[in-house]
Amino acid sequence: MSAAGDARLLLLGWNFRTAALSVRERVAFSSDEIPEALRRIRDEGLVTEGVIVSTCNRSEIYGVTERSGASETLTRVISEWRGLDVREAAAGSFTREGAEAARHLFRVAAGLDSLALGESEVLGQVRTALRVAREAGATRSVLHRMFESAVAAGKRVRTETEISRHPLSVPSIGFELATKIFGDMSERTILVLGAGETGALFAEQAAGAGVGDVRVANRSIDRAEALAARIRGRVVPWEARKRALPDADVVVGTTASPEPVLSRDDVDAAMRERRGRPMFFLDLAMPRDFEPGVGELYNVYAYGLDDLREVAEENRRRRSREVPRAETILEEDLARFLTWFGNLAVVPTLTGLQARLAALRDAELARLPEAERDRYRSFADAIASKLLHEPMRRLKAEPDASRKLDRVEAVRHLFDLDQE
Amino acid sequence: MSAHGLGWLAVACYVGAEIVAIASLVTPRPRLAWLTPLLVGAGLALQFRDLLGRARALDSVPYRTLGGSVSLFGWMLGIAFLVLLLRHRERAIGPFLIPFVVVTTAVGLLLPDAGTAPAADAATHGALFALHVTLGILAYAAFTFSFVLSVLYLIQDRQLRRRRTGILFARLPALEVIGRMNRTSVTIGLATLAASLGIGLYRAEIFWQSLADPKIAWALITALVYGFLLWMERRGWEGPRVAVLSIVGFGVVMFSYTVVNVYLTTAHRFR
Repeated sequence: MSAAGDARLLLLGWNFRTAALSVRERVAFSSDEIPEALRRIRDEGLVTEGVIVSTCNRSEIYGVTERSGASETLTRVISEWRGLDVREAAAGSFTREGAEAARHLFRVAAGLDSLALGESEVLGQVRTALRVAREAGATRSVLHRMFESAVAAGKRVRTETEISRHPLSVPSIGFELATKIFGDMSERTILVLGAGETGALFAEQAAGAGVGDVRVANRSIDRAEALAARIRGRVVPWEARKRALPDADVVVGTTASPEPVLSRDDVDAAMRERRGRPMFFLDLAMPRDFEPGVGELYNVYAYGLDDLREVAEENRRRRSREVPRAETILEEDLARFLTWFGNLAVVPTLTGLQARLAALRDAELARLPEAERDRYRSFADAIASKLLHEPMRRLKAEPDASRKLDRVEAVRHLFDLDQE
Repeated sequence: MSAHGLGWLAVACYVGAEIVAIASLVTPRPRLAWLTPLLVGAGLALQFRDLLGRARALDSVPYRTLGGSVSLFGWMLGIAFLVLLLRHRERAIGPFLIPFVVVTTAVGLLLPDAGTAPAADAATHGALFALHVTLGILAYAAFTFSFVLSVLYLIQDRQLRRRRTGILFARLPALEVIGRMNRTSVTIGLATLAASLGIGLYRAEIFWQSLADPKIAWALITALVYGFLLWMERRGWEGPRVAVLSIVGFGVVMFSYTVVNVYLTTAHRFR
């Protein structure tokens, strides 16, 4: 049956809130595995459409199903396939049905359900999930529209609120501060001292963001060369780092040196050579790489780890303050989708209800003598028609999309319209 | 319509633009982004019509009177804002600059009108006079722009140093961008002031046979301050010091435009 038939939205998921890492890694699907997973759940007849969103923090299976109890069967199928104990898988899972399933997806796409509130990466992951499912032939009108709507809502939230605007990670904050001093970074030079994990992270971010010239200085030249090759940067010999200072607009300290690797005098000399042009010193090292007092020099801006953590905390608070506005936007877009989907589901539900009453009528009429059946059929039809008229009218006229969907669900449940 | 009805309508447009600009600064509203330039544009069109009306009443350029010159000053600031917005998409400067447009336009409308202005004489007539005053006012508008940018530079610099990364920090352009815009404003201001001064000196020799005038002296001091500022920048002294000097320069401009114009000069003034 098509989605326009007795279709209901279903979500079965495991995420960082509900499941331990040991469970999440078992139910995580690589992009190559997703078509196979979708094929399996559709072959089992569990869903008529399916999309899987699988990231490092979540594995969520969205479906359109016509079967009751589909989520339990789905959990069993996935557990058996991934070699996971069913009870363990079920304990870490969560399910949503109907409007709640759609609402969850909208929240995911907007970054409201992410570990880092408002992060943008998840929007691309939702879009990719839809593409993969579409290429696997697993989507039809309902999930296609639901995912497209969720992506559009996610974009709207990011445009109309500040939920993604304030960076949270230390390198991102450092980079944003640099852009607040220098503007366009494509013509700028960044000198990264240290080629360890933090240095590599910052250098990669800077190169990825289009910084014109990224230079790396490290005590071990091999590591500096390896990092520089990876980001297409340049190597500065460790001994030449002070001579390289006047050319650098941003200097990032990430070494494990127990002593400062640049003194205030070094920076003062560099500033004289730069004729006072501004410099930004970002000290991501512990203990510090730059001597205290560097930031007191004219046109020198210096930030340390504590400063950056303070900014991160403030940014987190700012993002949280945007949540109510983001939710308002989501509800607007969600209502549009649910109205569309609700209209899709009311008619088949009412048809199913009429068919159920007709079956009951026929079963009762079968017990009567044949001569009396026509008379009682007209009588039964008249009662059924009068009985159904008002509920049908109210169901069709319900303006609240979520409530309409919930009522359709209630009617289906009360009259057992989902029976096999 | 009453006297300067169009001018007051223009002020209303600028006030509306300021309200939208502040609201957008606090909470970005991409759907309303077009409203600020639209309101400023409408205000400029209305104010232009008002200036034309003044010109007809004076039978001269509208800025021969103090009110007209201040009004033109506001109009040029509005034009500069619109150009900046359309060219650089820097919306954050609007809330700080539009108040100057509002105040100068309103003051221009409140100051004595054509009826109190003396008839135009040979010294206050002709294309060269018009060019001299227009360039002078354009220079003042550019220096006002530079003043606003310098204040914003100091605010952004202070926020960076105090680790205050609030709404204003997020909205304001980068220091480098503000500095570059400031440099452009000062360069335009200095060039137009120099041209205005050149024409003014030439005309002073012809009509007054003398250059001994406080307004000329203060215009020269203004040019020296801003010239020194550009020289500082070329020497690599960019940053907060340049911003402070620009604010000092604006103080000189305002002194010249108000105290010198009203109290220290007799022949060489907007009336």
